[in-house]
Amino acid sequence: MVPPPHGGRLGGEAGTREFGWSMPRGWWTRRPHYFWYIVREFTSLPLALWLLWLLVEIRRAQDGPTGYHPHSSLGFVIFSVIVLLFALYHSVTFLSLAGAILHFNVADRPIPSQLIVLSQFGAWAAASAVVGFVLIYFGRT
Amino acid sequence: MTAPKRITIKATRFDPDKDEKPRLQSYEIPFGDESMVVLDALNYIKGHVDGSLSYRWSCRMGICGSCGMMVDGVPKLTCNAFLRDYWPRPITVEPLNNFPVIRDLVIDMGDFMEKLKSIKPWIIRKQPVPLGGGAFVQTTAQIDEFRQFSQCINCMLCYAACPVYGLNDEFLGPAAIALARRYNLDSRDEGVGRRLPVIADPEGVWECSFVGECSVVCPKGVDPAKAIQQTKLDTTMRFVLPFGNRD
Ligand code: SF4
Ligand code: FES
Repeated sequence: MVPPPHGGRLGGEAGTREFGWSMPRGWWTRRPHYFWYIVREFTSLPLALWLLWLLVEIRRAQDGPTGYHPHSSLGFVIFSVIVLLFALYHSVTFLSLAGAILHFNVADRPIPSQLIVLSQFGAWAAASAVVGFVLIYFGRT
Repeated sequence: MTAPKRITIKATRFDPDKDEKPRLQSYEIPFGDESMVVLDALNYIKGHVDGSLSYRWSCRMGICGSCGMMVDGVPKLTCNAFLRDYWPRPITVEPLNNFPVIRDLVIDMGDFMEKLKSIKPWIIRKQPVPLGGGAFVQTTAQIDEFRQFSQCINCMLCYAACPVYGLNDEFLGPAAIALARRYNLDSRDEGVGRRLPVIADPEGVWECSFVGECSVVCPKGVDPAKAIQQTKLDTTMRFVLPFGNRD
């Protein structure tokens, strides 16, 4: 049996009393949509940790390539792969929502939201290609 | 002859003068007509089983927005939730989540009404136009700009689905923001600047973290989540662009 969700308290004077709302613990497990929303939000935390780590690495590399050895323990590689998956999940869910956010008219007609989403993914792919090229090309030596 | 089908409705009961907290009560009722909706079941209970059951309703056709309740944990218009979609399982009917309960299935909508009022949901003109000044002509394309956001029936299902509002009832909330957008996009309106302090507030659009459930449950296709995200973009543009159309 589904328990009544109202986890609140009784309040007010006699005659005007009402039962206040308070969010039940574990509310985000009650609907798949809520669960995936929490997952989406949570993915930014490991991502932020990884970016902090990147700052540390940049600091370590400031004296040039001699003497710099990137961190390459198995644990770090596994962590990086997991973060990459999180980053992809976050980016895909975020970009898929672009159709709801952006709103353009061309010749008095709204651009279909699918086209806007597609353009966002296109821009993402182009930006990734540019960053990849810069890293590989200038990192050769 | 086979016995008529029956269905069990578990409805929230709460008498503020007697009960410490809401509880569920089961009613087994005949389900003879495939077109029966949850609201019909509640009306049957009220008419034949227990006349003290309290709930709101009016039009029975998805127009008035007053019959919103949680049906098996999902915010729905009970006049549009068919028993056949649940039978033979029992159906749990509860008051809308995220609002205080006054009695049984009736919630206190005072907070929602205040929020609607706070965004000034009427056409604002900088200079009043005299009645004899003629009609405000509006093209179909201009109406299309805001038509979707004008379909709201104030049923509050979006508030019941929004965990952000459930956690912080200071949040302006989906329907109020969609309504603000409806007026801000109206070619006859000049009131954006007067609505901005409420909608661009931290408890306005910026409290929303885009769960998106408001748009999923909205029975009128208003898509309040879209209205909120577009308002975020608009308010940012007004802020960052040097001539960001500030008025
Ligand atoms: S936006 Fe939709 S769900 Fe929210 S009050 Fe309006 S009609 Fe109801
Ligand atoms: S009774 Fe009017 S919307 Fe359901």
